[in-house]
Amino acid sequence: MKAVRTKPRPKRTPPKVPANWNPNIVVFACNWCSYAGADTAGVSRIQHQPHFRMIRVMCSGRIQPGFVLRAFERGADGVLVSGCHFGDCHYISGNERAVEQFEKTKNVVTLLGLEEARIRLEWISAAEGARFAQVINEFTDQVRKLGPSPLAGNGRAKE
Amino acid sequence: MDAGRHPLIDVVSNAEVIGCEGRPGDFRVRIRKKPRYVREDKCVACGLCVDACPQVGGNEFDVGLKARKAIYRPFPQSVPATYVIDSDACLNLLGFLSEKQRLRLAKVQKIKQRKREDYQPNLLVCGHCSKACEVDAIDFDMRAEEMEVDVGAVLVAVGFMEFDARKLGNYGYGRFPNVVTSLELERMLNASGVTQGHVVRPSDMKTPKRMVFIQCVGARGEGGRPYCSRFCCMNAVKDSMLVRQHDPEVEDVTILYTDLRAFGKGFDDFVQRSRDEKSATYVRGRPAKVDHVAEDDSLEIFVEDTLGHSQERIPADLVVLSVAAAPNEGAMKVADILGIETDVYGFIARRDPAVSAVETTREGIYVAGSAVGPQVIPDCVAQASAAAARAALYLTGYRVEEEQKTVDPMDLSGPPRVGVMVCHCGVNIAGTLDVEQLASHAAKIPDVVAAETNLFACSSAGQDRLVELIKEHNINRVVIAACTPRTHEPIFQETCARIGFNPYLLEMVNIRDQCSWVHAGQTVEAQEKAKALIRMGVAKARHLHPLQAGEVPMARAALVIGGGIGGIQAATDLAAQGFPVTLVEKTDRLGGRLAKPNLKSLYPNMRPAAEVLREKVDRLKSTDARILLNTEVEEISGFVGNFEVTTSGATQETFPVGAIVLATGAELHKPRGEYGYGTLPNVLTSEELEHAFFEEEEAVPGDSEDATSRASGVGGNKRRSGERSDGKAASPFESVGSASFILCVGSRDPECFSGCSRYCCPTAIKQAILLAKRGIDTTIFYRDIRTISSGAEEMYREARGLGVLFIRIPPGEKVEVIGEKRAEGVRCFDDLLGRRVEVPTDLVVLSVGMRPRQPETDRFHDMLKASIGLDGFFLERHPELAPIETAVEGVLLAGTIQGPKDIVDTVAQASAAAAKASVFLAYDKVKLDPVTAVVDALKCRGCGTCVDICPYHAGELVESGPGVYVAEINASLCKGCGTCGSWCPSGAITCRHFTDRQVHAMIDAFFGEEVTT
Repeated sequence: MKAVRTKPRPKRTPPKVPANWNPNIVVFACNWCSYAGADTAGVSRIQHQPHFRMIRVMCSGRIQPGFVLRAFERGADGVLVSGCHFGDCHYISGNERAVEQFEKTKNVVTLLGLEEARIRLEWISAAEGARFAQVINEFTDQVRKLGPSPLAGNGRAKE
Repeated sequence: MDAGRHPLIDVVSNAEVIGCEGRPGDFRVRIRKKPRYVREDKCVACGLCVDACPQVGGNEFDVGLKARKAIYRPFPQSVPATYVIDSDACLNLLGFLSEKQRLRLAKVQKIKQRKREDYQPNLLVCGHCSKACEVDAIDFDMRAEEMEVDVGAVLVAVGFMEFDARKLGNYGYGRFPNVVTSLELERMLNASGVTQGHVVRPSDMKTPKRMVFIQCVGARGEGGRPYCSRFCCMNAVKDSMLVRQHDPEVEDVTILYTDLRAFGKGFDDFVQRSRDEKSATYVRGRPAKVDHVAEDDSLEIFVEDTLGHSQERIPADLVVLSVAAAPNEGAMKVADILGIETDVYGFIARRDPAVSAVETTREGIYVAGSAVGPQVIPDCVAQASAAAARAALYLTGYRVEEEQKTVDPMDLSGPPRVGVMVCHCGVNIAGTLDVEQLASHAAKIPDVVAAETNLFACSSAGQDRLVELIKEHNINRVVIAACTPRTHEPIFQETCARIGFNPYLLEMVNIRDQCSWVHAGQTVEAQEKAKALIRMGVAKARHLHPLQAGEVPMARAALVIGGGIGGIQAATDLAAQGFPVTLVEKTDRLGGRLAKPNLKSLYPNMRPAAEVLREKVDRLKSTDARILLNTEVEEISGFVGNFEVTTSGATQETFPVGAIVLATGAELHKPRGEYGYGTLPNVLTSEELEHAFFEEEEAVPGDSEDATSRASGVGGNKRRSGERSDGKAASPFESVGSASFILCVGSRDPECFSGCSRYCCPTAIKQAILLAKRGIDTTIFYRDIRTISSGAEEMYREARGLGVLFIRIPPGEKVEVIGEKRAEGVRCFDDLLGRRVEVPTDLVVLSVGMRPRQPETDRFHDMLKASIGLDGFFLERHPELAPIETAVEGVLLAGTIQGPKDIVDTVAQASAAAAKASVFLAYDKVKLDPVTAVVDALKCRGCGTCVDICPYHAGELVESGPGVYVAEINASLCKGCGTCGSWCPSGAITCRHFTDRQVHAMIDAFFGEEVTT
């Protein structure tokens, strides 16, 4: 029997990060903790990087894989999912469900050939304005290092 | 925030009560409102004045660790959001000058002296803030105002103050820079606090390597405060965990404690976790002093480790003093004005510390929270609701029915015509972003028919303009680009609703809190972000659907299940407010554990239980509450406002109720052969000892030589085997010369109940005092003495004074009862002596813990779908925010059904449950939020995923045809989280107002134009 030779997967060359390039990041946040945490950052004037756009939902449990995948499809370079700390969910256990959904999403995202570091799950409470800013800065820097998403531009309606 | 926004709540801040006359139901309260020099009606809380103010003062909220300006907002979430000027720091108000200096200055300025109280020179030397303010909110001519309000009842919630640790010189607070209080540590640990969550040594701002917490600073005997502050143990445990999680540089945390009082629900498990994770070393001992090491500003603590039996010198970089709670300075004054009494410490006195947590010594005036003594948050919240329930008794007839305004709904059909309003918010937005450009960008987005800016969209002028705009352009979707929807959406929605514009066709875009305020230095990027956010908002708005708030009629009656003290109290409070109440009790009498022979007297004031019970039952019977004895609840179906209850037993009927209070209580642990219980006749439970107290009372003195009657005494008790001598028994304590109590039987034991039962320490001490007063040598074997309730710590001292011996047993050690036919002694390892001891005894009392009552707990769990916690007790919706409510709306918890607690706490919780129930019953309709999930029956495949996933059990599979199942979501149970929508495999569930389509449209709009699919 002849062994089936599988083609070695071509190693992807590390992406060239254009100079002064800034990532596009979609942040999904629950109404009660993370969105409120971002507001708290505002009230306390804690400055952070501006390359993200918030989408508010009532609970992190609402954030389904389809939302995250659509964001990547349309050209997002990173997606942050955030909700209340465990035990603090406004809807008892929505954030526990969010973890399950997030794990699924992460699998699909990596299957698509995207780096795992482009997607992140964080718990941020309404009081943690400083933490919100810190997470945004960290994540933005992390995605910036990865460079533009290989999918960016593919799914757009018009170039 | 909720209180500040509530239409029926007037918050009068910066004010004090100066008089209170009248009688319950008709008080006239005089209030002096101090000037804040900033007009509440004008201030938009933009903070420009703060930037302009040159004067710096200490920040009270951050306990002086951080500076603030003379014009400031006390803390970021303050209500009202209005700024205030500190007249002592402000250069204009010159409060820091003496009266004499001010007069002299006034003379120079030739300002005539007005009335002394009214006098203010207002030299206007500064005025930077008033120049900076865009809305002219600053008013230096503001004077103190007096106002009078007519009220039915008064609630006192003045809280507590921190004990001043300077009074204890040996700990060096105030002298050594690296000795801080727990509150100071708390502000450091707060992510938005002084150090953004990092713990530092104040002397050099470096992270401490070794930290030591000293417990009971100013509590339990020191500094003249004998009481326990309740919250400090858990606070230290929590802080030590936070510190270790946050700063790996902190290598070592030691907690020096006296007793670890982890009495609350789940607290013991938390401490265990801390021990397992080794986040802190626990040393039992109270330090003699803290010494300062001059070279590196570190500290050395001298302490006797009472369990390790050694003298220790513990080095530390930072010492945290867990300071006690002291009465609020103003409490005495408030008490004086209101004509109520204070206790010996200066806290507000309760009318009866054994029964009622919220009644003061004057009728119509109630108290909640730490104003009566230190409390933990769940108890504070429960008491606050309880106080509200009592106060409501004086307000019947004043109940405000919601006004039914009918506005014809506007015709908003047709293709989307979006109107965009971009708010300047003064310079808050316009200072960073080019709002005019944002508006012109918005105008170019397809479907946008009008886009304009407004100086303050939330002002009344802005609201009027919004109405005009809608009408001018026949707008059917509104996008407001301004601040956060979390605070302002209700305002705009209300404006829309007023003109018949469906409020759910409005979308807010947050370009202030989450854009201009946080990207001030990056104007170009911020502008791009704001544009994208507006595009996303418009995209969502296109797909918004008009939603109608549903209504279902409310059955304005309540059901109380359980006729113990909790049930009696809840039923009384509800019935007294005029609501029809049905109380269902399974046995033939009311009273539960308070009824004879379960409990003879109550701690701390030894009031006879029978007297308390009679008082409570009489009060209940004076109302119109319907009491069904010998009756059980067979079945409950339905949801809030529309429960249907079926009873069985003596009364069999089916009736509707709007809200349900569960008060079936707890069971006491039944020892199974442990400690010789059941085999040795003189081993009793604490409850059986209460029986003995009754027997003693009934016993005829002088008839004690009879051998059979002696056998009936507890010394050789045979009651359980059925022998019982009648009536003329001798005192059961006749032959008892010594007694031993064993605590934590069935509590703090992972095999039975891992939590603390709360009531047993004070009860055992109460019983020990009673025995000691009869000349019986009494010994208590304990693990930690947790005398946390009001007056209990004093009882503990009294017991020690009476010679009651306390022997501490180490964790894991089991006390051994010795004796063949009867218990003759108790043997165990004495943790403090460090060796085994044996105490001869004639009587062993097992202080048994509480456990969930079965089968009631499981039955009601099945019937109502209210969750049960890991400990088997019913789970509250949130331990701090909603300790009374369950996750099922309209189902409330009263008493030990939620977890072990004593009578005071049970009564408070019962009143609180009544208050919460009355919130539902006050209206004749249940308003249903339309933001819910709905199932498309055609798409649903009946898999039941949504049914399993919903924490509120709103989903249900119904048979739509033979063998065909579809899910249905009950709009009255659905809270609109949308989790089911994200899990539905067939996409049959629409999560209203956050639909897939709306979210997708937003994502698409971020990256250019929307993709139509």
